[in-house]
Order: sequence, then structure tokens, then C-alpha cells
Amino acid sequence: MSEGLPPVLEEGGDRTVAGVRDGLGAASGAGGTGGLDRRRFIRWLLGFSIVSSLAMIVTPIIGFLIPSRTATAGVGGRVLAGTLESLPVGSGAVVAVGAKPAVVVNTSGGVKAYSAICTHLGCIVAWDAALTMIVCPCHDGRFSPATGAVVSGPPPAPLPPLTAVVEGSDIYIVTG
Amino acid sequence: MTTDVGRSEAPGGAVGWVETRLHLGPFLNALLHVPIPRNAKTFYLGGITLFLFGIQVVTGTLLALYYSPTPDAAYESVLSITSDVSFGWLIRSVHHWAANLMILFLALHVLRIFVQAAYKYPRELTWLVGGGLLLITIGFGFTGYLLPWDQRAYWATVVGTEIAGGVPVIGPALLLLLRGGAEVSEATLGRFFGIHVLVLPLLLAGLLGLHLLFVHQQGLANPKYPEPRPGRPAPARPPERLKPFFPDYILDEVIAWYAVLAALVILASLFPAGLEPKADPLVTPEHIKPEWYFLAVYQLLKVVPETVGVVAPVALVLVIVVLPLFDRGEEVLPRRRPIAIACAVLLLVALAVLTFYGAQV
Ligand code: HEM
Ligand code: FES
Repeated sequence: MSEGLPPVLEEGGDRTVAGVRDGLGAASGAGGTGGLDRRRFIRWLLGFSIVSSLAMIVTPIIGFLIPSRTATAGVGGRVLAGTLESLPVGSGAVVAVGAKPAVVVNTSGGVKAYSAICTHLGCIVAWDAALTMIVCPCHDGRFSPATGAVVSGPPPAPLPPLTAVVEGSDIYIVTG
Repeated sequence: MTTDVGRSEAPGGAVGWVETRLHLGPFLNALLHVPIPRNAKTFYLGGITLFLFGIQVVTGTLLALYYSPTPDAAYESVLSITSDVSFGWLIRSVHHWAANLMILFLALHVLRIFVQAAYKYPRELTWLVGGGLLLITIGFGFTGYLLPWDQRAYWATVVGTEIAGGVPVIGPALLLLLRGGAEVSEATLGRFFGIHVLVLPLLLAGLLGLHLLFVHQQGLANPKYPEPRPGRPAPARPPERLKPFFPDYILDEVIAWYAVLAALVILASLFPAGLEPKADPLVTPEHIKPEWYFLAVYQLLKVVPETVGVVAPVALVLVIVVLPLFDRGEEVLPRRRPIAIACAVLLLVALAVLTFYGAQV
């Protein structure tokens, strides 16, 4: 560009925004009869296109970010929770069933299993051998080993029961 | 309309609120209102590559929220992204396709620069930084391929790192460094993941900033006339005809991006990213192939000794990177640069033939 001739900046010409703008200016003067002249119509169309394009991009992203309810439930099936030897009558234990804890108790009325997530504020309950009760360490909520019902303390509801099966001397918890 | 962006006379509303505090107007003006040669033809290839990188950042960040980089969990996490997470298949497949298209458009971008001789004075550094961008983009492909931890991922990486191990002198050390141990293992997966999601994106973003800064400083090359050089008589030519970068060029660019986005969604829907059986270090599957852009090297290694097959591509890349240092003629029109164009055609034919045979089973 150093040869002395001044560079020429050309606006408009072929398909450019400037070209569109000029065309619109001319058209809206002639045809602005209804409430919606061409310029406003195109502007509205542009806004609509931008908004719908953004919605189209953002929708899958938001959907992706929302965790799926099935993903954490784990697969159905049987989990070995212990044996009659490791869990004699009058004892209990907390075991993992998939990603969630369960409490298994060998009561005089048979082997029982419950969700170990306290119905009060979500702490994990434990078997208290001295009290012969399922006890929550957080606010001393107590549950009956025979039924899962609340015996005392703040929990509003019984522990949800799970299915415990004894095969030979193996204790399984069945889910799914 | 939108041409008011960056105008410095006190605009109202939120824009004005920010403007009175930060005075960004003149800065945005300098950024946007640059004239470009009317006959510059970029075919929007660099911009499309940039757009695809943006797509990779967004989809990659999303994938990283669900992906676990350990041999025990990687495969299952990819499986669950594809089948459990809503739109997971879409995000993963778009990431897959945008990676491939990024390589493709990058190659076309380099080809455009070459044919128009835009690498010549004063744009040597833009080309050099571009060389870095090219290597990083290939690095993305190489490290990302392992992450699903399926049979193809695993064995392609075993072979790929083995090839790197064939580099003379530093080969064995390089192999160990890449794998993080003697075998492709948990350590390799951790490394590749870290490089893929942290190291390379930061490097690419940094170099890209430089690249675009250089382009902005120099303006686009005029493919018809050589750039006047200091201390030499300027060749006779008509006055430079210019057009505004904003909004004229940008509008066309955004239209191109929109078309590419549509193509991505269509490709992802019709040909979603697949998953082979989980990686098994004890069973090599038949016919393991690398991605299409590595097929030429893969085929070369079948027909020449390992050292040659490894050194030749490295040497080629080096020659391409330093091209502006020895190709210093002023001519820009392809028909006045017969040797350069002939070399390029020869190289393209060789790559095409190797890729074709590499793709055969
Ligand atoms: C991630 C990779 C890359 C991105 C995102 C990118 C982006 C861009 C963009 C947006 C431009 C403006 C003009 C256009 O759109 O074509 C440009 C120009 C340029 N690029 Fe790249 N580029 C990349 C890689 C490369 C590579 C690998 C090379 C060469 C080895 C290269 C060399 C150049 C040169 C010399 C220019 C100036 C062209 C001119 O003035 O006409 N770039 N790049
Ligand atoms: S959380 Fe269990 S008693 Fe409060």
C-alpha cells in the first residue's frame, strides 16, 4: 500500500449487511402501510432466529447437565450381605448394596434388611448391640429391628424395608 | 442495526453503564473495524477451524463432567454417557465429529495459505505459530483416541506410542514418557487425560491468541499482488480495494459457522460415535487402524523400515514449518510459483495414495 495511491474502502456492493440495510431503507419508505413495515419484520425475524438458535443449542446442554435418575440406582440383582456365621442372631451390620447402604439384622424373627439411610436427615444408621436397636448416630433416632418402625427420636418415618434371603448359610439382599 | 457496537459517543442502558466505566468502545472499534482486501479469499477455513475448537471446548467440558479417567471406570462412564445421560450420545458424537472436521478444515486452511502464498513476507510468524497449532491439534486427536478405553482405543495407542518409540536416539525415553511406564496402563490413561483436557487446550488457546493477533496486525493477504517490501521499489498495481471486516466479512463467517453446526448435528445423528468391547491388554483384535489422518504414516510404516517411516513424517513437518524461511520469492500467483506448487501436488498425491492403501483391510 506504499505506492501512493489511496486505498479505497467500499461499503455495500455484493451481498453485505450494508447492502441489505440500503435496500430496507428504500423499501420501508414505499411500503410502510400496515403497522409492520419490512424493516421491523426482518428485525423481528432476526431476533426470532437468534433466540431459537440459542434455545436449540442450550436445550441439549441443560438436559445433559441434569443427572439421570436411573444412573445411580445401580443394576438390580443380589448382593451377598454376610453369612449366618458372621451375623449370628442378635447381631447386625451395615453393608453396601450398589452405591447405597443397607442395614441387615439377624433377629429372633429371621433376617431383616432395611435401607440404612435415616429418614430424618440422611445419616447412616448403625446396629446397636447393647440397645438391640437400629440407632442413628446423628440425633439418636431409634428404629425397631423387627419392623423398621420408629421407636423414638426425630425420624418421621420407618426405614424402608429391603428383601433379605437366606440360602444355605449365605445372606443375600435382593434389589431391582 | 448492529453497526452501533463499540461506538464511543455515550450510548444508553447497560451498554452505556459499562462504557462509562471501562471505555471499551475504542478498543472494540480497533478490533472490529479493520478494512480487508476486497479480493481476499479465505473461504472462512481458519474461522471454521476456530468455531470447531469452540465446539470442542464446550462439548469436551460437558463430557468431562461424567467421564472417569481410570481403566476400571473409563469404559463404563463412556457407556453411561451414551446410554443414560440425556443428550449424552449427541454431545459425545458432536465432540467426535467436530474433532475430525477440525483436522479436515485445518488441512484446508493450510492449503489455502499455501496456494495463496500468504506465508510469505510479512506473515512468516503467523505461519510458524500455525505450525504449533497444527501439532497441538494432532495431539488432541492422539490423546483423545485412548480415552474411551475400548479395544480400538487401547491397541491404537499401543501401536502409536510404539511408533514414537522408533524415533532415533530419544525413542525409548519418549516411549516411557508417553506411556508413563513400560506398558499402556492406568498411568497412560491418566497422562493422556491430563494432556487432553488441560495442557493442550491451554496451549492451543494461547497460541491461537497470538495467531489471531498477528492476523489482525497484518491484515489479510491479497492473493493477487505481492506485499510491498521495505527497501525495494513497489511493483505497479491498481489501488488497493478494501471492504469492512465488520459486519461484511463477519456476517459471511457466521453463516459458514451455522452451516457447519448443522452439518455436525446431522453427522452426529446419522453416524454416532461408537464403542467397541472394553480394552483387554491380553487380546489384540484383528485389523486395528488409527484415525484416518494417521493412515498415511501407518501405511508408510508397512512399506519402509521403521526408522525411515518415523523420521520422514517428522522431517516433513519440520520442512513445512520453516517453509517461509527458504521460500522467499515475492511471487504470490500459483502459476508464477511452479516449483512450490509442484512440490505440494506431489506431496498431496503421495498422502492420498498412502491413505488409500492404508484404509484397505
Ligand atoms: C487451530 C488451528 C488454527 C486456527 C483456529 C486458525 C485460525 C485462523 C484464522 C481465523 C485466520 C484468519 C483468516 C482465515 O480465516 O483464513 C488465520 C489466518 C492465517 N493462518 Fe491460521 N489457524 C490455525 C492453524 C494454522 C496453521 C496450521 C497454519 C500454517 C502452518 C496457519 C497459518 C495462517 C496464516 C499464514 C494466516 C494469515 C493468512 C492471510 O493473511 O491471508 N494457521 N488462521
Ligand atoms: S439424621 Fe438420623 S436422627 Fe437425625
